[in-house]
Amino acid sequence: MSDPRRLLWPALLILAALPPFFVNDYVQYILNSILVYAVVAIGFNIVLGYAGQLAFANAAFFGVGAYTTAICMGRWHWPFLPALLSAALVTALVGLVVSLPALRLRAYYLAIVTLAFGELLRWGYIHADWLTLGSSGLPVPAASMFGISLASDRARYWLFLCLTALVLWGSANLLRSRFGRAVVAVRENESAAAAMGIAPALTKIGAFAWSGCVVGIAGAMFALLLGRINPESFDLSQLLLHFSLVMIGGLGSLVGSVAGAVVLTAAPELLRNVAGLEEIVFSLLLIGVLLFMPKGLAGLLSRVAVLREHLYLG
Amino acid sequence: MLAQLVVSGIGQGSIYALVALGMTILFRVTTVVNFAHGELFMFSAFVIYLLLNAFDVPYLLAALAAILVLFVLGSVVERVLMRPIRHAPHMALAMMTVALSYLLRGVVRMGWGGDVRSLPPMFTFDPVMLGTVVLAAQDIVTIGATLLLVAGFFVLLQRSRFGKLAQAATDSPRGAALIGLNVPGFHRTMWGVAAAMAAIAGILVAPVTLLYPDMGAQVLVRAFAAMTLGGFGNLGGAVAGGLLMGVLEQLAGFYVSTAMIDIASYIVIIVVLLSRPAGLFGRVERVRV
Amino acid sequence: MALLEIESVSVVFGGLAALTEVSLTAEAGTVSAVIGPNGAGKTTLFNAVSGYERPQEGVVRLDGRPVTGLPPHAISRLGLRRTFQNGGLFGEMTVLENVMVGADRATRSGIPGVLFGLKRHRREERRAVADSRAMLARVGIDRLAQARVRDLSFGQQRLVEITRALISRPRVLLLDEPAVGLSQAERDVLATTLRQLAAEGIAVLLVEHVIDLVMAISDRVLVLNFGRVLAEGTPDEVRANQAVLEAYLGSA
Repeated sequence: MSDPRRLLWPALLILAALPPFFVNDYVQYILNSILVYAVVAIGFNIVLGYAGQLAFANAAFFGVGAYTTAICMGRWHWPFLPALLSAALVTALVGLVVSLPALRLRAYYLAIVTLAFGELLRWGYIHADWLTLGSSGLPVPAASMFGISLASDRARYWLFLCLTALVLWGSANLLRSRFGRAVVAVRENESAAAAMGIAPALTKIGAFAWSGCVVGIAGAMFALLLGRINPESFDLSQLLLHFSLVMIGGLGSLVGSVAGAVVLTAAPELLRNVAGLEEIVFSLLLIGVLLFMPKGLAGLLSRVAVLREHLYLG
Repeated sequence: MLAQLVVSGIGQGSIYALVALGMTILFRVTTVVNFAHGELFMFSAFVIYLLLNAFDVPYLLAALAAILVLFVLGSVVERVLMRPIRHAPHMALAMMTVALSYLLRGVVRMGWGGDVRSLPPMFTFDPVMLGTVVLAAQDIVTIGATLLLVAGFFVLLQRSRFGKLAQAATDSPRGAALIGLNVPGFHRTMWGVAAAMAAIAGILVAPVTLLYPDMGAQVLVRAFAAMTLGGFGNLGGAVAGGLLMGVLEQLAGFYVSTAMIDIASYIVIIVVLLSRPAGLFGRVERVRV
Repeated sequence: MALLEIESVSVVFGGLAALTEVSLTAEAGTVSAVIGPNGAGKTTLFNAVSGYERPQEGVVRLDGRPVTGLPPHAISRLGLRRTFQNGGLFGEMTVLENVMVGADRATRSGIPGVLFGLKRHRREERRAVADSRAMLARVGIDRLAQARVRDLSFGQQRLVEITRALISRPRVLLLDEPAVGLSQAERDVLATTLRQLAAEGIAVLLVEHVIDLVMAISDRVLVLNFGRVLAEGTPDEVRANQAVLEAYLGSA
């Protein structure tokens, strides 16, 4: 029963817990961002990569998760854990709602309607200022969990690390089961999947809800990370970042999602000083991947046997 | 008042119609939805800005130059970005146009920063009065140009030899290739044509609007709403949808609230796609196993 | 009572009658075949039986239970499996993963069990993997287990599809032109396999163009032409039927 993978991941986790002891504040913040975007990428990959749905709603899910957290904590003074759970639940519900048009609409129509939905939500954040405080943004108070203060970036890192690990583990489990196989089967050949007893509609709805839950968690992390959220954070540039994470990291790959986050998250920090440079670099990277490396980083990483992903356990 | 709103709406809607028509042509021919079309429109506005401000080129010349530049840009995009991946799944093609849109945005932002710019008005003749309705110089030029273009385009498509070949290449690329039609070349040309149409919209709008790198997104959404309303892939529907959107915005903005102008497109898209995805003039398709 | 009863089924597409009052019964443990020229409505019949088309008239019964109008996945869950004429596989998944999808109906763990990696789920997964590998070995393609289905040859893909259909131990098996693209040797193996399946109690129904195969292994044959039943009976009866000879078999 000694699958090398079983030792690898706990070891990696312990290693990953070490950085806060010797990095400076700036790098610590970047590491925190990487974790947030790793979860974003995992969530987006579920719908875009595994389910194969051209749904452009991810920035919207992200915003719903972040705003739910900020409203619960900032306006209603809830502690972090209930806020996190609410964010996950509310965003999962939103995912469910978005999945309904996905049942009837083909590729491009779904993309356009989800784009419209996302922009409509953003308009809502700006105008429903009785709830969201509008364009000026919503502050997120310092959090604590089980008595431990989460006011420092270091403490948040370990929280984020736990959340990321949980999301990765849970998603990997779901993928390596009949649920994961059903999602991919419906993507590959909906008629054949039905012939195997899989209900395509329920499967798609489930994939969207799962994605919403994960991206909602990422949104909660984002709210903590920034300490203040405002509507601009969830516009089309954010959507481009999400696309880049998934396409460059690798569609339909958990390892790719994490790799994409690691490679790309540092980039905005480095590129933000020159106007337009971030967009140019990201778009060129995306174009490069589309033309030359369709499987993204995951394609390269899958050469390492232990990183190869299956849709079954074993 | 209603009449004034309608007329202004038609003036505004003509721009949407032009952009939507270009996108629909491209969609019909290549089955690609070009998410970068708004940015092509934006790019042409900035090209005109550059020529007018930095090189003092007269407006008409600058306009022609901008159309040419965009035509070439469209052709290059097809050859370099789209053709290599033409057999890839829809997702990859969509992503490529999304990447292109951000590339154009980034280039413009780098060149001009995020500041908002404007040009002096070009059409300075007096407005025309039709009863109580004021037809501004801008509207006259825009509606006139759009009418001419759309009419010319339909004549070209229905009557000319080129139009017949275009229809053939669209309906059956393989059949067209068999009779000697250069289908890849045709796709390249149509990308150029679509980009040129976005350019025409851009040059009409540039003198009266604020120019900024993100202006393309606004127009793209309106164009999507126009295509959705008129029925995706329907050329006449795209034009009608565009004009309708223009009018709808003006009416909603006046009778409901100005905030509605921003979100009218989103609401139209969501409502139409959820109730009747085929739009007003599209065909309802049946999927067979 | 027959396992599969098709009773006077008619299917009309926008004015075109694809099937008119077609009836057929398939008993457990038998092989039945549907033959006919192209466009006779054979695949439409399959679609009507498995839920992809809704008949305008008639009833389909599975083990006595009416299934007409049920969605395909519901009918499948009642024990019916089918293959497709063109591409019924999940291209990007491996052979093993494809077959496991076929086996997935047997697993019982719910979402919590899966999510938390509980023992029962892990046990069921391991069993599903083992069963799938065993079935692949029985069909002779276990060395292809990790290959991506899209990369396989047509004949290999067919075998994977049949394996996937079999692993859920269906009661009724619908095979749409299983012999296409197979060599003579492979067809012989197919013939033996189908008879074996029938011996195990499955009701096998196939659509085929390879008449030799059909005549050799079928217990009953249905001949369709322009959506109507031209003849029905044992292979010998059908072979001797004058109308069939004229319309289809030529100088057989």
